[in-house]
Amino acid sequence: MKLFTEKIDTGISVKRKENTDVQKLHCSKCGKDIIADIVHANDSICPYCGALFRQPAYKRIEMIVDSGSFIEIEREAESKDPLSFPGYKTKIANEKTKSKLQEGVVIGKATIKGVRTALAVMDSYFMMGSMGTVVGEKIVIITEFATLNRLPLIIFCASGGARMQEGILSLLQMSRTTIALAQHGEQQLLHVNVLTHPTTGGVTASFAMQGDITIAEPGALIGFAGPRVIQQTVKDELPEGFQTAEYLYEHGLIDRIVDRRGLRDTLADVLALHVRPETQNVKTLIKEKVDDVFKRS
Amino acid sequence: MRTVLIASRGEIAVRIIRTCKKLGLKTVAVYSENDQTCMHTRLADEAVCIGPRQAEKSYLNIESIIAAARAYRADLIHPGVGFLSESAAFRLACEEEGIKFVGPDADAMRMLGDKQSAREIMIENGFPVVPGSTGAVDSLKTALNVAKTVGFPLMIKAAKGGGGKGIRIVRNAAELEQEFPMVCREAELAFGDKSVYMEAYLADARHIEVQVLADEHGNTRHFGTRECSLQRKNQKLLEEAPAVNVDEAVLQDIQNTAVKIAQCVNYKNAGTVEFLLAQDNKFYFMEMNTRIQVEHPVTESIYGMDLIKAQIQVAMGHHLTIPQEEIAARGHSIECRINAENVKENFRPSPGIIKAMNLPGGNGVRIDTGYAAGDEISPFYDSMIMKLICTGDDRQEAIALSMAALDELYIDGVSHNTEFAKAMLADNDFAAGRVHTKWIEKVFLNRWEKP
Repeated sequence: MKLFTEKIDTGISVKRKENTDVQKLHCSKCGKDIIADIVHANDSICPYCGALFRQPAYKRIEMIVDSGSFIEIEREAESKDPLSFPGYKTKIANEKTKSKLQEGVVIGKATIKGVRTALAVMDSYFMMGSMGTVVGEKIVIITEFATLNRLPLIIFCASGGARMQEGILSLLQMSRTTIALAQHGEQQLLHVNVLTHPTTGGVTASFAMQGDITIAEPGALIGFAGPRVIQQTVKDELPEGFQTAEYLYEHGLIDRIVDRRGLRDTLADVLALHVRPETQNVKTLIKEKVDDVFKRS
Repeated sequence: MRTVLIASRGEIAVRIIRTCKKLGLKTVAVYSENDQTCMHTRLADEAVCIGPRQAEKSYLNIESIIAAARAYRADLIHPGVGFLSESAAFRLACEEEGIKFVGPDADAMRMLGDKQSAREIMIENGFPVVPGSTGAVDSLKTALNVAKTVGFPLMIKAAKGGGGKGIRIVRNAAELEQEFPMVCREAELAFGDKSVYMEAYLADARHIEVQVLADEHGNTRHFGTRECSLQRKNQKLLEEAPAVNVDEAVLQDIQNTAVKIAQCVNYKNAGTVEFLLAQDNKFYFMEMNTRIQVEHPVTESIYGMDLIKAQIQVAMGHHLTIPQEEIAARGHSIECRINAENVKENFRPSPGIIKAMNLPGGNGVRIDTGYAAGDEISPFYDSMIMKLICTGDDRQEAIALSMAALDELYIDGVSHNTEFAKAMLADNDFAAGRVHTKWIEKVFLNRWEKP
């Protein structure tokens, strides 16, 4: 019995290769090259071995905040070339297309399990999350926004440090962000830092270390100068696990190391404990807790 | 049309890969971290890991699967059974990416996926449904009113329900008052939607379904009936084609109704219309499954065709021009689902590694499985090890062949239900076709002697 008369077009004469313009990421732990979209759909965790990849800012936000609650501000802010640094303009343009971002940090407000918060998420896929004038300015804006609106502030740090192409103007951002955060703190408002891989340089030396509570992702590299620079300076062997989140935790610089998939719950708990929620939020909070209990039982 | 991505796992993924190979199509399998060495991963031309073992993060992860399809330039995606096979969102995501989805369009999926809306569409179009509520039953008062017109016993069902969850049978007003809020809450917890509907409970009814196939040009054909009454907790255990012990005129009527239903919702590709056949030979629409079904091989066996191939051809836009009269069945076919479960301990799943396995074979015996000796049956996914499909010239032959094949079947390492299947096949009620959807639970389990 022949149901169809047409022939199936198999096209087997054409040798088809894998799509070459698909972006792939290399896993340093298991050595596999994995399609970037699959890695990021899997919370930027290697689906083969569980190693953590750097997470794009919007993916991070999607994972942390209540669905649909994020309102971004200053999305369009973009870097100029104040020092006419050679090749800087082209580099920025390239980074924009590659990362689909305007700059290395995304800021805005959102709710986490019903509690309102201000949020800054750095994205290391844009020039290694380096801090130039725009990144600094955006951190200052969101901090002042939080102060003005009496909101807690959560900053996800991921940075290679100050952006050398903007020279001293980048370094200036260290003091600007510090002052803004001090004003936020003076108002008895909560500032939580989440340090992700890598948090280094001028960012570590300024706002990344000023949180009331400092959380880190497992295995994240956190330090001021890189291990190689230090090794060459002190001319001595560095201890094992030097500058990893775990090492810093043991030495008291970090309050807790939290798995990426547990961050939403941890942050929600921290917020719920520190912030006086508005009445409506209390209701949502209680409802979620009740639902949690149901799910567990 | 060259590359097919199979967005499923287990025996159905293997089944689809085999047909693709036969047709000369390149195959891409997707797998979760846990399934790296599974048969479907081994057999496909390419395999992509799409996430961790939790299905929500891998086999239900639309984003990952679409990314894999994009990377391997899949022209078609076959969703298989379960997972995303009935997800309108997945279907739309494929469309957006320019990939052909092997299945009906999103509208039909949405319409038929919600049982209550499907029921209402059938009522509107004059198809028979089990007497019951029209519109959502949102309060106990409405529920009691429905009970007044329909009478007891009644079934309360979750609108978004499935898999035997969110269903209660009530025999009087007191029970209704007690159970109604509980079903609503169960529905909300399990399916995220507390709407329920109500139907009369038909005693000793049978589950008869019709395989339909429709192309994208308005041609709809049916491929006869299947009897799926042997169920435990709404899970099918044994299916056969064609349906047994049904009046020829009624059978014709059921088949024609199924085709009309498919046409009415503008259905495309393969689908199954499920009916309840009551003792008085009246039949009622139950639901329509918008995908290939686990038990499709019994239909293939008696019609001598390949439904997966037909699905792919429909997706490629081919014309189903063969007249209905020329679609003829021959013989009788029975499928036994062999599950890794401990029958003695209330059918508790029994995951583990298959240490050794001997499969029956020969004329008329077909085995669809996703496992070989040495493979692990994972506790994270369903526990079916294989389907044994035996086809003979008549039902008696098919039963005898099934029993003989089950005798030859040997599986070591996990508990399985082979002996239970044999006992069902040997039962007099089964031989006479005197079974119904509650037969296993109400009749057979009581007299079945546990080995």
